[in-house]
Amino acid sequence: MKNKLKKALLFSTLFILGYTANAQGCSDAGFCSVGNTFKDAQSEIKNSIEIGGVYGVGEEDVTVFSPYAIYTRIFTNRFAMSAKLTATTANGSFGTISNLGDVFVTGNYKFNTGDYDKSKWSGILGVKIPLTASNDKINNFSLPMPYQSSLGTFDVITGLDLAIKKWEFSTAVQIPLNQNKNSYLSQLAPTDKFDSTNLLERKSDVLFRATYKIKTENQKFIFRPNVLFIYHLGKDSFENVFGQRQTIQNSEGLTINGNLITSYRLSEKNYIEASIATPFVVREVRPDGLTRAFTIGLSYKRNF
Amino acid sequence: MKKLFFLIGMTFFFSSCEKEGVLTKGSNPIPTINNTAVLKYSGTFVPTSGITVQGNVNIYAQGNKYQLQIENITITDGPDLKVYLSKSDTPSSFVNLGNFKGNGTSVYDIPAQVDVSEYPYVLIHCQQYNHLFAIAELISKQSN
Repeated sequence: MKNKLKKALLFSTLFILGYTANAQGCSDAGFCSVGNTFKDAQSEIKNSIEIGGVYGVGEEDVTVFSPYAIYTRIFTNRFAMSAKLTATTANGSFGTISNLGDVFVTGNYKFNTGDYDKSKWSGILGVKIPLTASNDKINNFSLPMPYQSSLGTFDVITGLDLAIKKWEFSTAVQIPLNQNKNSYLSQLAPTDKFDSTNLLERKSDVLFRATYKIKTENQKFIFRPNVLFIYHLGKDSFENVFGQRQTIQNSEGLTINGNLITSYRLSEKNYIEASIATPFVVREVRPDGLTRAFTIGLSYKRNF
Repeated sequence: MKKLFFLIGMTFFFSSCEKEGVLTKGSNPIPTINNTAVLKYSGTFVPTSGITVQGNVNIYAQGNKYQLQIENITITDGPDLKVYLSKSDTPSSFVNLGNFKGNGTSVYDIPAQVDVSEYPYVLIHCQQYNHLFAIAELISKQSN
């Protein structure tokens, strides 16, 4: 038994370390977890609150911890709304900085509430409201995007979700409405390891996720392995030291992430959830600072 | 449930702090003006509406290298202040020399490819809110 446990631990460690060295990927939890509002909600449940945190290994030597809280109100068996508050602590050679991140407000509408065998469609519409301008500094040094707690943009998020038997397919688009106010210029910085993102203008993303749900016989555990495709629809741009807008070459393209979510039911109304995610395919240049070699998340959810 | 809200509140409360790292400590090399540098241009800052400012600006040359020195300045506090070398007295065509380093005296390196004679103004500008704080018109100190 001990040997099996050791092997499992060793395998897990190698898995994590292996991807730490090689990969980059998704992190914006608000966007990447769209469509979760109704998951496993019991009919008598009207409210739920979830708190959690995600630890990620970012670009260069940056590590990021992002706590969050979500409140969900289910108004009818078809319509629910969620509000999510995020914060971030980033640590690296520039120092340590913490700040609030974003508020996500989303509405989720079920188009049908069919039987297990039938396909169930739902739609999501929401906004991301930044709580910072993405221009945090340490000791008057402008910080690159991996240290910022928010993209600094107001975004519209909309998408569709299809659940059929044990499968779930989600698609969404995230559209930024403004430039951020970041002021990091690599020419003026003490290192050239990060992309210039002065007044960053970020293009939209399209997301597609396929999830397979596995429940244990005692209904205590639910495993949700999923694969997440994010396509960045264009090249981002920034304002250079001459005040001219400059396109960031190769900043468009595809990111593919693998993600395993495990939920454990503590009691009728209490759940804990753990997740591990890592990217397999990444864009060549990722100035937005969302790059993660891998992420590990833990959350607690209470329905009432 | 009260405990839960307390826990959430504490989590976000503790999330507002900052600490310097190796790249942002005050001990990083700070540009200084060499004694042998030649004064090429100088000017005096004047404020825009609602701002108070006192101070001078000098541009020195040493060989092909130019540096801008803001001298004995006192200016109204503002977020995200930048120092621009500008072609006009508005921030429309400029070279961003970086974050304003605060009241007192500070030095900014001018990129090598910049022809300083084409930029007769120095601006202190709040980039985040696009608000101009102070303008200094540069006067040549040498005929050549």
